[in-house]
Amino acid sequence: MKVQVGDDIPAWDMPSVLPERMRTMAAILRDPNPVHWDRRVCAKIGFGDHTINQGPLGLSYMVNMLHAWTGPESIRRIKMRFPQAVLDGDHVIARGKVTALREENGERLADCDIWLQRDGTEPPLEGSATVKLPD
Amino acid sequence: MSRPLPPVEDIRALVGHRFPGGHYTIAHWENFLLTECTGSEPLPDDIAHPVALFHVPILGAGTSIGEMFALGQADSDASIGIESYDWEFFKPLREEHPYRIDAEITEADRREENGRMFDRIAFRFDLKDELGEPAARTTITWHYNRGKR
Repeated sequence: MKVQVGDDIPAWDMPSVLPERMRTMAAILRDPNPVHWDRRVCAKIGFGDHTINQGPLGLSYMVNMLHAWTGPESIRRIKMRFPQAVLDGDHVIARGKVTALREENGERLADCDIWLQRDGTEPPLEGSATVKLPD
Repeated sequence: MSRPLPPVEDIRALVGHRFPGGHYTIAHWENFLLTECTGSEPLPDDIAHPVALFHVPILGAGTSIGEMFALGQADSDASIGIESYDWEFFKPLREEHPYRIDAEITEADRREENGRMFDRIAFRFDLKDELGEPAARTTITWHYNRGKR
């Protein structure tokens, strides 16, 4: 695989964040926070008629982007910040860009900036990732 | 109704708090549903979706999201905000393999930014595989919002 600093990672599209998936996720995580499944609670704290996506679920869209690019065993590290909430119904696109290439323990690694793009707002999630590049 | 502001000494005293620790095995059904929630097809070779690195360490360490909220004396569930996750994978996580998890609170302090007060608490989890080799490490940092002061 030929990769250069500055390359864009092929984007991964989540056309609509679904509230049903948040509910399933809440059950798997044993997450008692009602902001992920009770719209009445979300309305009280200013999010209108929308539940709030779990942080890990938003992060997972960038994981899927990295898997599609370098394979399902490639991720070595992800650091993620969560400046804004992702809401049900949002259209978000996972994006990334290669910032550095290096070798460590015999592996060819790519450091990348990664983020979620949402039209009309700053990235709701942003951070960095390190992936092992395929031979 | 808001709870009283916890003394900052109580928050700082959380540093070094260790969770019981324990084991966790990611079941196939669990990984299937988890992966589906992300919008991905199932991964090959019994690989668990990396997003498992959120709940597996928490539950495997013998704690829960609810207990982590309570330890920081959260005003309410909705008052928690995520600052960051730092996930390191030393090898892929796989279904039906037991992982040993140990965890502790590594940072806890009060902050005030832009007129907003919050307690910042960082939780670190270490996962080892059946051979005792490091499999992953995660640090979760949450803000326990205390409102405008």
